[in-house]
Amino acid sequence: MSDAGGDRSGVAVLDEAMREQFTWYVVAKKEFNDAVRSKGLWALSAVFTLLFVLPAGRIWWNQRSSDQQLGQQALDIGMQFFISRFYLDTVTLLVTIVVLFVGYAAVTKEKESGSLKLLLSLPFTRRDVIVGKVLGRSAVAAVPAAIGFGLTAVFFALTPFTFKAGVFLWFVLFSLTLVVVIAAIAVSISGAVSRNLYSLAGSVFVYVYFNFAWNSLANGVGNLLSNNLGIGGPARWHIVLFLKLFNPMQAFKTLTNSVLSERANAAQTARFGMFRQGETEMQTICADVLKGQPRTVQGMLGNQTVCQGGGSGVPFYFSDAAVFVYLLAWIAVAAGISYYTFDRVDL
Amino acid sequence: MPAIELDGVTKRFGDVTALRGVDMAVDEGEVFGFLGPNGAGKTTTIDILLDYVRPTAGSARVFGHDVREDPRAVRERTGVLPEGFDVYERLTGRQHLAFVRESKAAGDDVDAVFERVGLEPDAADRKTGGYSRGMKQRLVLGMALVGDPDLLILDEPSTGLDPNGARRMRQIVREEAEDGTTVFFSSHILSQVEAVCDRVAILQDGEVVATDTVEGLRSAVDVGSVLTVSLAAPVDGVAEAAERVDGVESARSDGATVTVTGAGDEKMAVLTAIEDAGGDVEDFSVEEASLDELFAAYTDRTGDEQ
Repeated sequence: MSDAGGDRSGVAVLDEAMREQFTWYVVAKKEFNDAVRSKGLWALSAVFTLLFVLPAGRIWWNQRSSDQQLGQQALDIGMQFFISRFYLDTVTLLVTIVVLFVGYAAVTKEKESGSLKLLLSLPFTRRDVIVGKVLGRSAVAAVPAAIGFGLTAVFFALTPFTFKAGVFLWFVLFSLTLVVVIAAIAVSISGAVSRNLYSLAGSVFVYVYFNFAWNSLANGVGNLLSNNLGIGGPARWHIVLFLKLFNPMQAFKTLTNSVLSERANAAQTARFGMFRQGETEMQTICADVLKGQPRTVQGMLGNQTVCQGGGSGVPFYFSDAAVFVYLLAWIAVAAGISYYTFDRVDL
Repeated sequence: MPAIELDGVTKRFGDVTALRGVDMAVDEGEVFGFLGPNGAGKTTTIDILLDYVRPTAGSARVFGHDVREDPRAVRERTGVLPEGFDVYERLTGRQHLAFVRESKAAGDDVDAVFERVGLEPDAADRKTGGYSRGMKQRLVLGMALVGDPDLLILDEPSTGLDPNGARRMRQIVREEAEDGTTVFFSSHILSQVEAVCDRVAILQDGEVVATDTVEGLRSAVDVGSVLTVSLAAPVDGVAEAAERVDGVESARSDGATVTVTGAGDEKMAVLTAIEDAGGDVEDFSVEEASLDELFAAYTDRTGDEQ
């Protein structure tokens, strides 16, 4: 090794190690570098930063210039409030759109132009191309999102709001996982179809379905089971909850809600919060599905059921760890889609 | 071990049969021409070698690797100039070569490659969105050369190239062959392959109708060359004299011009016969059989046999 070799930066060493270790690495790196070169990455970073800092910043600014100061309690849970009130929807409704747009043309554009023939003439398998594109495009969406999150963390640290690093890091972890999952789905659709337009349609469908239609589907299946097959009570709500959790957006939301709460039965409360049913149903869900203690309280809008800890606690298959696994399973589903489509067709 | 082996490869796209049981073997180190009219199935064959398209039946191996089982091993040793490709228009030529270099873990000097394929340095630093077809063709030929591949697969490599570019391309093929690289290239124009190829296969309608050297093909189908002789003045009886030479199929005179077919290696004997018959030969030219005539001859022959 020459002197220059000895001086090689850690980045260069890592780069070479990655290249030797992972056959998809060069593809992923190209995808990411292309986004850096097109300046799209910086535009996305600015957009994400605005999306996250703006809502909290506005409220902070308003109260600062008014006479009424926020109380200590409000400042203490302020960050959690912003996450649950704004950021959950920002991530599921806005960040995912960006991810789908970043990913939908990943393969179809190369199919349409013919550059895929060049890419696949190099020592990559089709799987390398899909994996490299999923990870590269995930990074294209995740890095700006992480920059946005980082600046949001700085904002909370600098303002009177209490910055809870642990809670915030869980939220960031779940968000970035969702980014990778959605990127995997978008790229897999792109690998499965022949044209950009079809891929775009597929991504739009996924977005609308996950965000707005899945819940009715889960509840519809529940009704069907109950009305036509005689499967009611706990069994029905078990199935409905599983279906709800199989939606990556919902899995992300309930996971984050769970870590936002600093109480003992946080997971139970978060899962319970996914239901809006009548009193009897809510009691069944709490007692028989989530193994908690239902209690009826008088609220402004009538009787409300709350679910308190107790008993054996939330079953393992509805625990946070399990929900996280269900979320990750979507990457496998996407890989399956691409294996049975992109990997088997004539280009 | 052959560089390329096709074993009963059949490919159907829906109702259309593109290849019908193609058997072919290309030896290591040879320059192999793959000839056929447009639509004969040349690109489908190449797509199967690169695992872009999967055969309906039969198998293909490159350097002993089954192309379906181990496409990476095939691609590691192969440089490709595909048909119907496009480049990444937002990247410069240089970035393209750098990407290939990284993908193949090769150490090629990028500038040397550009010079070899005839791309100017300032073009190399421009985005390829503004390249002409010929420049893209040169760039991708350069990409195929990176990493010193053991096999070059060139699908209609002269498309979009001017005569200079086509000459340079042939030069590169010769240099690579001297270096021990196997070259497999397809064309629908005979003159492009006969200058460089050791052997040629002719594909027609999804079937290999002949595999031979270019000369071998010529003599096999006996569509010998056409000899055109210009005389100073019309002379009676020269055509008859030419026709009496062994091997000559026919000869006719039209004014001061005599056209002789099938003269083959007997050109000098024909010219002597014409001079002996009183013709004053001013000039002569030989036109080799064109690919079209070869195709026609093969089609006719297979037609006769049926």
